[in-house]
Amino acid sequence: MASPISIYHSNPLDTHLSSTSRESLKMELLADVSLLPGEDRIIDKDIIYICPFNGAVKGKVLITNYRLYFKSYEADVILDVPLGVISRVEKMGGASSRGENAYGLDITCKDMRNLRFALKQEGHSRRDIFDFLFRHAFPLSHGLPLFAYVTQEKYEENGWNVYNPLEEFRRQALPNNKWRLTFINNTYELCDTYPTVLAVPVKSSEDDLRRVAAFRSRGRIPVLSWIHRENQAVIVRCSQPLVGMSGKRNKDDERYLDLIREANDTTKLTIFDARPSVNAVANKATGGGYEGDEYQTAELIFLDIQNIHVMRESLKKLKDIVYPNVEESHWLSSLESTHWLEHIKLVLSGAIQVADKVSSGNSVVVHCSDGWDRTAQLTSLAMLMLDSHYRTLRGFQVLVEKEWISFGHKFASRIGHGDKNHADQDRSPVFLQFIDCVWQMTKQFPTAFEFNERLLLTILDHLYSCRFGTFLYNCESARDSNELRLKTVSLWSLVNSKMDMYLNPFYTPESGRVLYPVASMRHLELWVTYYIRWNPRIRQQVGPQQSPVEQRYKELLALRDEYLKKLEELQRPDSSPSSRLAHSPSSNTSSSSSSTPLQQYTHLHTPL
Amino acid sequence: MLTGSKTTFKVRQMLPDIKERMLSQSGVNSRSRDVFGLRCLPGECVLQRAVMVRKKLTAREGRGWLSGTLFCTHFRVAFVPQDGPKPDDNADPVLLGDHDVALASIEKVVVVGPNRTKLVTSNSSLKFTPEELVLYCRDLRVVCFLFDRLTPDTQVLEITYTIAKTYQPPKPGSVLSFQNAALGSVEMKQFLSNRRRDTHMNWHESSSDWEQELERCGATGWRVSSVNDRFEMSTSLPRYIVVPQKVLDTELKKSFAHFNEGRIPRWCWRHPRGCDLLRMASFQNNIYHEKDDIRNLETILFGCQASLCVVVELGEELPSPADVQLAHSRLRALCLGDISTSVSVPDDKWLSTLEGTHWLDYTRSCLKKASEVACLLRGGHLTVALQEPDDRDLSCVVSSLVQVMCDPHCRTQHGFQSLVQKEWVMAGHRFNSRLNYHRDNDKEEAPVFLLFLDCVWQLLSQYPARFQLTDDFLLALHDSVHLPLFSSFLANCQRERCKRSQSLGQSYTPVNGWRDMLHPDFSPDPSDPPLPPVWDWALQYSKRRRDRFTQPVAPVPPLQPLLNGNLNTNPDTHRLTDTLPGSVFLFSRGAFSCPANLVPWRSSGGSGVYRKSHRRAASSESVPGLERLLKAWALSEFPQGLTSTVGTQGPLDTYEPLLPLLMGPCMGFWRECYLRGALHAQAFSHPISANHPHPVERLAREVQQLKDKLAQASQTDPHLGAKTAEPRWSDTNLNQNTNNGTFLFPAQRPHGTAAPRAAPPPTSTNRQTSRGPPPASAPPSRPSYKDNGGGNKHTFLFGHSSATEARPEKRCYPTPSNAKLPKSNGPSIAS
Repeated sequence: MASPISIYHSNPLDTHLSSTSRESLKMELLADVSLLPGEDRIIDKDIIYICPFNGAVKGKVLITNYRLYFKSYEADVILDVPLGVISRVEKMGGASSRGENAYGLDITCKDMRNLRFALKQEGHSRRDIFDFLFRHAFPLSHGLPLFAYVTQEKYEENGWNVYNPLEEFRRQALPNNKWRLTFINNTYELCDTYPTVLAVPVKSSEDDLRRVAAFRSRGRIPVLSWIHRENQAVIVRCSQPLVGMSGKRNKDDERYLDLIREANDTTKLTIFDARPSVNAVANKATGGGYEGDEYQTAELIFLDIQNIHVMRESLKKLKDIVYPNVEESHWLSSLESTHWLEHIKLVLSGAIQVADKVSSGNSVVVHCSDGWDRTAQLTSLAMLMLDSHYRTLRGFQVLVEKEWISFGHKFASRIGHGDKNHADQDRSPVFLQFIDCVWQMTKQFPTAFEFNERLLLTILDHLYSCRFGTFLYNCESARDSNELRLKTVSLWSLVNSKMDMYLNPFYTPESGRVLYPVASMRHLELWVTYYIRWNPRIRQQVGPQQSPVEQRYKELLALRDEYLKKLEELQRPDSSPSSRLAHSPSSNTSSSSSSTPLQQYTHLHTPL
Repeated sequence: MLTGSKTTFKVRQMLPDIKERMLSQSGVNSRSRDVFGLRCLPGECVLQRAVMVRKKLTAREGRGWLSGTLFCTHFRVAFVPQDGPKPDDNADPVLLGDHDVALASIEKVVVVGPNRTKLVTSNSSLKFTPEELVLYCRDLRVVCFLFDRLTPDTQVLEITYTIAKTYQPPKPGSVLSFQNAALGSVEMKQFLSNRRRDTHMNWHESSSDWEQELERCGATGWRVSSVNDRFEMSTSLPRYIVVPQKVLDTELKKSFAHFNEGRIPRWCWRHPRGCDLLRMASFQNNIYHEKDDIRNLETILFGCQASLCVVVELGEELPSPADVQLAHSRLRALCLGDISTSVSVPDDKWLSTLEGTHWLDYTRSCLKKASEVACLLRGGHLTVALQEPDDRDLSCVVSSLVQVMCDPHCRTQHGFQSLVQKEWVMAGHRFNSRLNYHRDNDKEEAPVFLLFLDCVWQLLSQYPARFQLTDDFLLALHDSVHLPLFSSFLANCQRERCKRSQSLGQSYTPVNGWRDMLHPDFSPDPSDPPLPPVWDWALQYSKRRRDRFTQPVAPVPPLQPLLNGNLNTNPDTHRLTDTLPGSVFLFSRGAFSCPANLVPWRSSGGSGVYRKSHRRAASSESVPGLERLLKAWALSEFPQGLTSTVGTQGPLDTYEPLLPLLMGPCMGFWRECYLRGALHAQAFSHPISANHPHPVERLAREVQQLKDKLAQASQTDPHLGAKTAEPRWSDTNLNQNTNNGTFLFPAQRPHGTAAPRAAPPPTSTNRQTSRGPPPASAPPSRPSYKDNGGGNKHTFLFGHSSATEARPEKRCYPTPSNAKLPKSNGPSIAS
């Protein structure tokens, strides 16, 4: 909207502070910051925040071992950024730089924004703040513990108990006469990136498993992830076979896959290779590859999903067109040229194909190269489509714990928790992409999910924040050796002790229904409230404010209760009219304050 | 007409078919209008039918298939589902059933064979038996029928040929025969002439209609003039126009010549803060201006403000009708794909191709212009005059959008209908030419009205809770535009409409004079079908579908504030009034200017002609004041209603315009309308369908039922007469407390006639009741409250617990168990 009149300020509704209260604010500007237990103030100082929307804003910054907090003197601009979100801190300008606000810090964040601060040039005023930031934003690079190991937070519920593999297998009615549970990986000997309990065909022996592991990249053998209650078709996940240039074969692997097919007695086993076929071929050069014709009872389908590097670049392009300013003149074609939605579409349509095969009774094997990125996306999304349990608030936590965390999605490498190496080629927004796909599904099926958008945003915020142990480390073996579950708090502790914040009021449980979203560019949308949420012009529908529909729903509920009560009273002759008068006022006082308890939770979403 | 099939099929096979057709003919002649389950209109004959056909359902209809019988009549392609409800013989005729397609809205007929697709025209012959019949409609629907293996091949071919022959290929003259097929029978004419007009809306036809509108808006200082009663002053203006009270008709008459087509500045609407919205055509500069004329002109233009007038030029930044037409045809092509080859734009090029249509750009520019005007009006103390060269296209869009943004009444179904009647139908939007029903004037074709509907949809999708009308209503209006049946759309202005109602057949030959001008609805020639207005929805849509035009428990426009003088609270504008007396500014490209040639008389009349302009020449110095008004717009692009921090600022002004976010990512695409035809996108079943309405809708219906029950109960309980007012009390309270009334759904319609209730107590009492301490009688209420709370889990969540029992954590959100959808409490209430 390149209009000559589009001058805007910060939220005009916040400018009602009287001048006297401003004065007092200046005195104790940072006194009201509520710190987490275990969070320590490190430094605070005067600084100028160069807001891309409001221009330079003077204020005070506070840095703790967990966050960077900025509050302006005047316009009520607040930034509350967990240090874990920072991917890069750079000095901007030198001591001799000319121009206003040319000397300061430039901070790149992992959550689609950049922050710039300007300081006075005299006396190396930024040296200490830079050093502190650098140390605490990248603790692992400085031999410090991640904040999750420092925090003393306590919650009613222990989120680490959300997922218990055996319980989840039991829910799926496993083991059964076709599938058994094995503890062969109890000490992470078979595969150091797999969980300890695995479900494998009954007919396979432990020795078989060892031989298969030798033929699968990083020992990630095909194991059961999900079984269809009625038709017994399964989703099996693994890594690529080590075929190599010479086209090696492995009878045990072939037989093993045939056992999987046999388990639900279909003629063909479908293997979904998430990669584009060229990439699969190219992997042969490094010893990998794909299942060839020797797997006679299997059909192989490539799903054309690009690798982590392509996804990283795509997100980078997306950031370029939405932050700080939204590309206006050719928004749609710019969006198209990022290919972000195109990738979302491919992931979703891959998952749809998996879900469709399984619900029609065919077992599937899903893999990519190592089976921890695209494979996790496909299996978890397919399970979300197939199994309504995963569409509940707790079920979704189980899904994330199971398909992503326990099966070794390399969160540490993909996110780079506490690591200063911002250019690491291992970083990639694979999990973000998964959450985006989930969001697309919630948009298309607004009543099918028990959780709301706020949960997805909270998950993404704490994916980076390092406040909880949930997304730390690459695999279970690393978590065990670092005593993660003993020493840190789970994100689900936070979520489950405030459950009502994350519930979708429109949820209508329909167990057994398979959801097939439309994976077409015509129906996918950019997740504006995530990717463009720092832009003050994007209406904040998360946080204390609800979507208009949600608001309407609540008002209708209130009305309904009111009418119900009145009807009841009308039918009860002894009630006196005055007794009803007392209700209305009381009901209103509380409804007006209904949004207040939520506000304490908004600091991560606060717009600039 | 069966020549095509004779070559491929044996006569023996055709025999039963002919018998059937004869049967159907005899069915028509009999009194029963029910032929093979199809309820025919009076005079409608079934030309062909095919049994065991399945209709593909769209996402909105729940997806999947429906089996039944397919019919083709002179008027429509009808589909009767097998297990559908029995038609009620006594009900009024409905032109189109839920699954029917009018022949006139069919654009192309395509059949799909075993391995081919073929476009069928009236003289094609098929060499294969179609498996699928696809009707591409002008309204962007794509209706798809699948022939079962059990459908007799002859029937398949026959019905395909029949449809291909009888649907109306775009050619002059076909419209009339279509109208006759639909409405031409004696019975139908009789039926139509007995239809009552919807009295809930303002038709803006008579002088009292306009007076009612003036009163509704609280616009004093204006009067209804009948100077154009015989369309002598301006052929395209309506009979009655609203002008300043102080201008006499004799003075007014001299003004017409100074404007294109005689379209002088006329009043459209008054903002509650006292600003008037006017619209006019461009000035005729080649006419000599006498002093008196100029004074009259200024009086008209300044309306009642006499201080400041901003002329908003609509030509430059908005698309021309030709642009709109091009964009729309691109959009159609994009959404329907290439029909004959079934090739559509590849998915990975969808976004850029959509951008390339410019349709969204045009929507955005209209909304932007309307937002600017809305902000000017909000400032107070000025008159805004929309100016377009002929004042018949984009000024309709902008003036009505401004009102939709600012006037909650226009966001109700009836208010919106009145608005379209006022700013489009009566104002002389050239519907007939722009929609090009007769396919005789391609140059003029431009779906400006459809662009407007898209703009309204954008507002609706950004502020769903501020509208009483729904997107189903917008969709119905969108589709009706493509049916050449309605008087609203079949003329270019009121004059033509009057003429047409007299002699429809000759509408394209000039008629010298016309008869009986005072009774435009009276049709002297009984052979012409009287055309109904589009607003007679019962003709087109079943009750079930009409019910979806409005939200079940509607957000009610707050009662109009009583205007006692100007309600101006904006301090800025006082300065405006002081500094800018009698000035005219041009607003264009987001900036104000005062060009010398803006108003013709300013340059030609010389100095000192008119006191006001003489007193102080308008200069750009005064512009900042105006720009401040627009700056306010830029600020208000922030969420106004959604932010909870507004608490300290008191109740939000319900007349704050709904200003849409216009950034690229915020512009929506009306998929429910434009992508209805994209069958490939509907391959899978969707849990939300007509049978499974959204929980909000279900709850709303439940609340509506409760309300009715409550009204009933209190009626039967005489000693509780006072109680009937209570729902309103609580509504008002909600109003004050929930986000300052921004997303407010008080349950009662102000002019609701159905629910009898006592007059609401005065507002001041409400406030006391809601804010003051609980009355002394509060204690007895406690136990009863607790009982309710136990019986109904939802009660405590939404603020029925008193402040003394504050349980902050549980107040705002449903706990898990409570978040589940309420099961119907119907039975328990009844007991």
